[in-house]
Parts: sequence; structure tokens; C-alpha cells
Amino acid sequence: MKNLFLFIFILFFSFSISFSESSDKCFECHQSLGDKQSELFVKDIHFQKGISCADCHGGNSQSEDIDEAMNKKSGYIGIPKGDAISKTCAKCHSGTKMSSKYKSALPINQLEKLETSVHGKIATSGKEHIAQCVTCHNSHGIVSVKNPASPVHPLKVVKTCTKCHADASFMKTYNPSLAIDQLEKYRTSLHGKKNIKGDVKAAECVSCHGSHEIQNAKDIRSSVYPTNLPQTCAKCHSDKDYMKEYKIPTDQYSEFSKSIHGVTLLKKKDFGAPACNDCHGNHGATPPGISSISKVCGSCHALNAELFSASPHKKAFDEKEFPECETCHGNHGVVDATDQLLGINQGSVCIKCHQENKFPKGYATAKIFRSIIDSLEKVSKEAILYVEEAEQKGMEISEAKFKLREAHQSRMEARTMIHSFNNEKFLEVTKKGFDVSEFIRLEAANAVEEFYYRRWGLGVSSLIITIVAFSLFVYIRRIERK
Amino acid sequence: MSKKQSQTNSIAKTKRDFLKYIFGGGIIALISSVLYPIFSYLKPPKQREVEVKNVKVGKLSEIENDSGQIIRFGNKPVIVVRTSSGDVRAFAATCTHLDCTVQFKKELGVIWCACHNGKYDLNGRNISGPPPKPLDEFRVIIKNEEVFVSKKI
Amino acid sequence: MKKYFKNIYSWIDERVELEEVVKFMGKKYVPVHSHTIWYYFGGVSLFLFIIQVFTGILLLLYYKAGEELAFESIQFIMSKVQFGWLIRSIHSWAANLFILALFIHMFSVYFEKSYRKPREITWLTGMLMLFIAFAFGFSGYLLPWNELAFFATKVGTDIAGVVPFIGDSIMIFLRGGEDVTGATLTRFFGFHVAILPGIFTLILAIHLLLVQRQGMSEPMGYENTKIAERKTMPFFPNFILRDLLLWLIVLNVLAILAVFFPWELGRKADAFASAPAGIQPEWYFLFMFQTLKYIPPQILFIDGEVFGIMMFAVAGGVWMMVPFWDRKSSRGEANRLVNYIGLFAILYIIVFTIIGWLV
Repeated sequence: MKNLFLFIFILFFSFSISFSESSDKCFECHQSLGDKQSELFVKDIHFQKGISCADCHGGNSQSEDIDEAMNKKSGYIGIPKGDAISKTCAKCHSGTKMSSKYKSALPINQLEKLETSVHGKIATSGKEHIAQCVTCHNSHGIVSVKNPASPVHPLKVVKTCTKCHADASFMKTYNPSLAIDQLEKYRTSLHGKKNIKGDVKAAECVSCHGSHEIQNAKDIRSSVYPTNLPQTCAKCHSDKDYMKEYKIPTDQYSEFSKSIHGVTLLKKKDFGAPACNDCHGNHGATPPGISSISKVCGSCHALNAELFSASPHKKAFDEKEFPECETCHGNHGVVDATDQLLGINQGSVCIKCHQENKFPKGYATAKIFRSIIDSLEKVSKEAILYVEEAEQKGMEISEAKFKLREAHQSRMEARTMIHSFNNEKFLEVTKKGFDVSEFIRLEAANAVEEFYYRRWGLGVSSLIITIVAFSLFVYIRRIERK
Repeated sequence: MSKKQSQTNSIAKTKRDFLKYIFGGGIIALISSVLYPIFSYLKPPKQREVEVKNVKVGKLSEIENDSGQIIRFGNKPVIVVRTSSGDVRAFAATCTHLDCTVQFKKELGVIWCACHNGKYDLNGRNISGPPPKPLDEFRVIIKNEEVFVSKKI
Repeated sequence: MKKYFKNIYSWIDERVELEEVVKFMGKKYVPVHSHTIWYYFGGVSLFLFIIQVFTGILLLLYYKAGEELAFESIQFIMSKVQFGWLIRSIHSWAANLFILALFIHMFSVYFEKSYRKPREITWLTGMLMLFIAFAFGFSGYLLPWNELAFFATKVGTDIAGVVPFIGDSIMIFLRGGEDVTGATLTRFFGFHVAILPGIFTLILAIHLLLVQRQGMSEPMGYENTKIAERKTMPFFPNFILRDLLLWLIVLNVLAILAVFFPWELGRKADAFASAPAGIQPEWYFLFMFQTLKYIPPQILFIDGEVFGIMMFAVAGGVWMMVPFWDRKSSRGEANRLVNYIGLFAILYIIVFTIIGWLV
């Protein structure tokens, strides 16, 4: 009986071998040896497409003889090491062979991109690039990116990246200052929470950083470089259809690019302005909470935030769950704050809550603040005009000009002091502006007066000289006539 | 002399006298209009001279530890700080980012710019925020318990 | 009034014998002819020099020599000192008018051949004063310590350094060191307010004494005029009063210039900044400066600049020695050559000054 089963088994075995399309003798032998690679290779997409071991490792896949099969002369390269690995993959993946033979729509520039990316730099060994294809894709069990079993599938790629990036002693050898807590932070973010629940649409490492073409975040080519970051976020967040199920607005990028922050960052390339991650965080991306908005804005706008937190608005806003700074200034579409925002006129933010009969104290304050700022503007502008006139007339006016700085500073301080919503403090600051503008106006007016005085003086002295000269002339004529 | 002759003579004499008065008066006026500016010039002006070499800040004992103040040096603002250890230093108070005037922030022990949250340490070096360069340093001279600030180092 | 003057006069006369001098002065006569107008330019130059001395002394009361304060002290004078703007602008304008007047005076004397015997020394002292006036201009120009002056001085002293053999020593002497620094400013200040005024005054005294002693020179061919037709006027009071009239007009011109064209101050000198475009010396050096620009870098074996400077030195020397090589004029003969040379000189100076200005 045992013999019969053994016979049938061997029959079946040889049948299956003879019926296999391309006889991959390498695979057959290694499988019979029971080795790990062939176990994994069975699930590999390359195996399913009929690609043999020899297509990567070289050698003769038709021969059963080990010396013939694994012969250098027939192209056998053994286990490729270092950059040779990627070159092996590139043999097919960087050429047109794939698209024609296998009707594949896959890109063919991955190795090119990798070599110019940050991972394409030379490793500490000095012998190879930092990452090879197999570092992320594995070697023998490679499946499509869309396959949940792939280590670079959206739900698994985070683990793949952190294999190196959360390893402190490894990262230390390349960039000791680079953070290694990205995963931790990510898990607190909305993206991370959705990702761990199995949402493939939520952003993970590759969504923002790219895959093969990853650059250092400080490199201008990087998709997360401050001037590129908003567009990277917008890839998903501005896509209405993509974001449909999440029920959040998709106008952030368009609002941002019109805002003062957006224009400053994207058009003027001024890095003093924030990109999405500066307010929302990058790996721990979450919109700031209601009561912490002014702290987030305050990381740059420190003085305004401080004043606001000490003002009566803070308590009122937090109680009513108004998002602090955002209530008056907007969030993504923050406009350049002009005097129009203040006061009781059409277009001011104050009248949104304060009216003559509703919260009247604030109404009165808003009115006073605006009128004082307007008159300070007027007085300063007058002073500037006076100084210009004096300068044009060629009078020495450097001291008054210097004081113009103070007037300008006082106007800036006044606009900041608004956030205290405190009459006394505001008046203190604006008084400085009024005083210095008055001083400047006087100096300049004096200079202009002096200008005219000189011409008058010249006229008088010329008259005197002319009279003397004329009478002298007459006198000379007279004595010469004698 | 005939009557006509004496008349012409007296007319001529009046003319001469008139001329003499005009001339004399004119000369006096001329001399005054020359001397007046000269005497005004000789009077020293009321405002103290713009001493740009040395600006006195004040008495050493009046400057507290851990404090900073802005003074005017010629046409520029200069911030004078005294560290907690008693060291007096002076820097240009114009922020290297966008020219706002900086101030001393006691709580943080730094020189701070209110416009965009730029920070400099007490050696004038830019340590945080947008400022691209450190603050220029000025020389501090302490003579007879008085503090002076003089030209840049 | 008259009695008081008479009393003071006799008091002094009893002690100093003023009467002799007055008699001598009263006997002086100035020839009156078609060229008389040129006689006044010596006086105009003198007037402008006096203006310079007075305004210079006034400026001395507020000016601070030294690179930290020179610029600011002039700013102070222009803005804070009462009428400081007037004194300073007059000083700067008068300097230029002074040199202009000197040129006119010199050329008129040249063409009149007034340098001929017996007035050779007068001519020589006059030429010396012209050179000293240039030195006044050059040293005074640096005193505000502004950008233009700093670089103009650099270029000017560089040129001085080009003189063979002694050039370097001259340059170091002028600069008070290898480069133009605060030491140069101090040195130029010393030249401008002490050394040059002292020397100039001495030479001026000799010049004036000689003029008084010898009287006004008569134009060539004046001896041919019949004695009866020769017109004269007394030096005192006629000529003096006329000169005074001219002085008054010059004074008025200065005031007008000071008010309508105040002298600029520019930017403070910064040794580390690069030279601003279009550095030029003052207009009276422009013709020489421009000439140097046109000389090729090498002439035979001599460096171009050296050649240029030597050329001007020789020209200046020849010009200065004209009383000695113009024999014809001493004999009373017309000398066309001298006229042609003079005309060439004037045209050359004018043309090259204009070119230098336009370029």
C-alpha cells in the first residue's frame, strides 16, 4: 500500500513538473529543498508571471545540473549584494521590456529616481546606496503595491519605513538630529488613527514624502519643503471627490494661497510665513483645538497672543467655544490685517458680536480704538509729508527723520495693543505716537520756515548791497566828474 | 554868486547830503547784515551736539542687572543690556530681519523682536526666528562709574 | 564825525609818521585805458581770499578734525548752528570763485605781459600763490571727510606718488601713512589752516608790497600814447572805491549762490566701501586729470602717468619762467609766440575741463 501511494505521488510530481509552462528547474530544486525563498516566491507576482529565479540571479534555469545551472559562464551572479541588487531589478523595471512583454503600466524610472533621492546617497559602508529596491519591497515575496500583503501597501508602509527611521542607533549614523518619533506622532494624528483602522485613503509616509524620489525635507526638491508642502497636502485635501466621505471642507489650499500667509510663503518665498505643517503639525497632523488656537498662532504672533490671553475675550471665547484668533482673522484665508477690521463700520469684525445695545462696552471700545488709530494715521502721514517737503527744499532734517521710525513703531504697537482690548494700555501706546508725530511736524515746519526765511534774508541783504553799491557808484561818478 | 547859481548849488548840496545819508545808512545796514549772521553764528546752538562718537547712557549704578534699554546713537537706535552677572553690552537695536526695533525680554533673558518673534542671545547672536544675521556690537566704555557707548567694534 | 577821525589820525601820526605813507598813497595813479578792467581782478582775488580767511576762522570754531567727527561736525554746522549753512556754503563757493578769479587775473597779466621787467618777482610770487591756492583747494576738499573727497584724495595722492624717485616719499608725506586714513585728514587740516595760510600770507605781502611800490603796469605800447591823452585815476579813493563796488557785487553773488545752491555734504567716507562711480577732482584739476586719462600706458620707456605728470611740471615751469625767456616783451616788442602759447593754454584748459565734465 505504502509503495502504491509513493508511486502515485511520484507520478503526480513528475506530471506536475512536465505540465509546468516554463520549467524553472532552479525553483523546483530549491522548493524540494524546502528553502524559505522558494516558499515566499510562490506568492511572488514575478512567479505568477512566469519569471524564473535565473531571471534575477542569472544562470541556466533549464538545467537540472547544479554546475551548469549555477554557472558563472551562463550568467549566474549568485546573491547580488549592494547596488547590484537594484541593478538586477532595473534590468527589467527600467526598460521597455516590461511594458511590451507583460503589458505593464508600471513606471520605469524608479531606480533613476532612487539614485537621485536622499536614499540614493552612499551608505556608511561606502560601498552602496543607503536603500536598495529590496529594502522596502522585500526580495522573494514581492507583490503589487495595491496588495495588502505588500510591505509598501498604504496600511503596511508605515511599519516598513519605521524599520529604519525609528531605529535610533541606525539613524544616528546618518543624521543624529533627525527625529525618530514620527510613528508615535503619526498615531496621534487623524491620518494615523484612520490608517490603523484600515482606511487606505488616509495619508501615510508615501503620500507626503513620495516613494522613490524622497528628498531631505530641507531640500527644495522635496515634496514637503515649505513652498511645496501646501500643494502636497492639497493633492488630497482639495480633491472634492476624494474627500467626500470625510465631510470636511476642501477649500483650504485655495483659501491659503490667497491669504497673507500663502502669498508670503508661496509667492514671496518668505519662510517667516507658515505652511500647513507649522500650524497643524506634520506627523502629528491635527487641527489645533479651540482653546489652543491662540497658542499656535502665538508661536509667531507672540505678543498678540499674550495680550489676547490676558484680555476679557479669552474667557468669553472659550466659554462660547469660539476659536480664538480664527474668529476675527480667519484660519486658512487669513487676510492682511488692515484698520478696516477694527471699529464699528461695515466690514469690521467687532460688530459681529458688539452692537450699541448688545455688549455695548465692546462697541464703545471698538469705536474709540478705530477713531484713535485713524487720527494717528492721519497725524503720522501729515508729519511724513512735512518732512518730505523740508527734505525736498534741501533742509537738514535727519533728526526728525529718525523720529519717523518711532512714529511707525508706535502705530505698529498700537495695532498689536488692540488685542488687549484695554483702553488704558492702548491710549498709552498711541500717546507716544501722537507726541512724536507732533514733534516731527514742528521740526519739519521749522525747517520749511527756515527755508523761506533764508530767501527773505537774501532778498533783504541783496537790497541793502544794491543800495550801497548804487550810492557808491553815484559817489564815484560824482568825484570823477570833478 | 547869482541867485540861480546859489539855488543850483543848494539843490546840488541837498542831493549830495541825500546821497551821503543813503550811502552812510546803506553802509551801516550792510555792516549790520554782515555782522548779525556772524554774531548769531558765534552763539553756540541750544541743542547739545550730536555726539556720535560717544553717547552717555547713564550711571552704572542706575542700570539694573537683567535689564535692557534703547538709546539713540546718532541716527540709530542702540540697545544697552546688563546681564544677570553685571556685564554691560550694547548692540544695534535694528532687527536684521525687517528693521523693527528690538527689545530686552527679561523673562526669557534674550533680546526679542516683537514683529516676528525673532530672538537674539545676549551676545547679539540670532538664535531663533527669522533674523538672518546677528546684531552689530557696539563698544561699551565704563569711566568713572558712568557708562558710555561708542562706535561699533 | 570828521573831527573825531582827524583826532585819531593825528594821534597815530605823531607816533608812526603815517603822513608819509598817506602822501605816497595819495600820489599813486592808475592808468585808465581799454584794458583797465583787468586791473580789478587782483583785488577781487584778494577779496575772495579775505572772505576765505574769515569764513574759515568761523568754521574753525565748530569744525572737529578727525575721522569720527569731521563729517558730523559739518552736519552740525549745516543744521544746528545759526547761519552755519551760510558760512559753510560761502566758504565752499568762494573757494571756487577764488581760483576762477586767480585764473582770470593770471591770464590777463600774461596777455598784458605785465610780468616783464621790473615786475618779474611779482609774477613769480603770483604763480607761487596760484600753486598754494591749488593746495588749499585740495586739502580743504578732504576736510568734510565724505565719500567723494575720500576717493578724490586717494586718486590725487596716488598720482603724486607716481613722480620718479621721490614720488613715494611725497605720497607718504601727504597721506601721513601708506593709505588715506584719519591721519591724512589731520595732516590736511594742519596744512589747510596753519601751514598754507602762513606761507600764502607771506608771499601775498611781498606781492602787494611790490604792486604798491611799482604801481600798476601799463599795457604794451602805452608809451606811444601822447602824454596829454593819457588818462589816469587816483588809486585812492577812485580805484579803491571802484574795486569796492566790484567786491560788493561779488559778495552779493556769493550770498545768492549760498542760498540757492547750498553746498552738498554727501555721504560719510567709508574706507571699505567701493568707490562710487564718476569720481572726479574739483573742476580746476579736471583738465590735468582728463589729460592723464588720454595718455597711453607707455611712452617709449616711460610709464604713461609719469610722462603726463612730468609734462605738466615742465609746462608749469616754462609758464612760470616766462618773464625770463620772453626777451621781446622786456624790450617793448610785441611777442606773438607768447600770445599763441597763452591762447593754446586757455583753450586747452577750457576744452579739457569741459570734456572732463561731460565724461
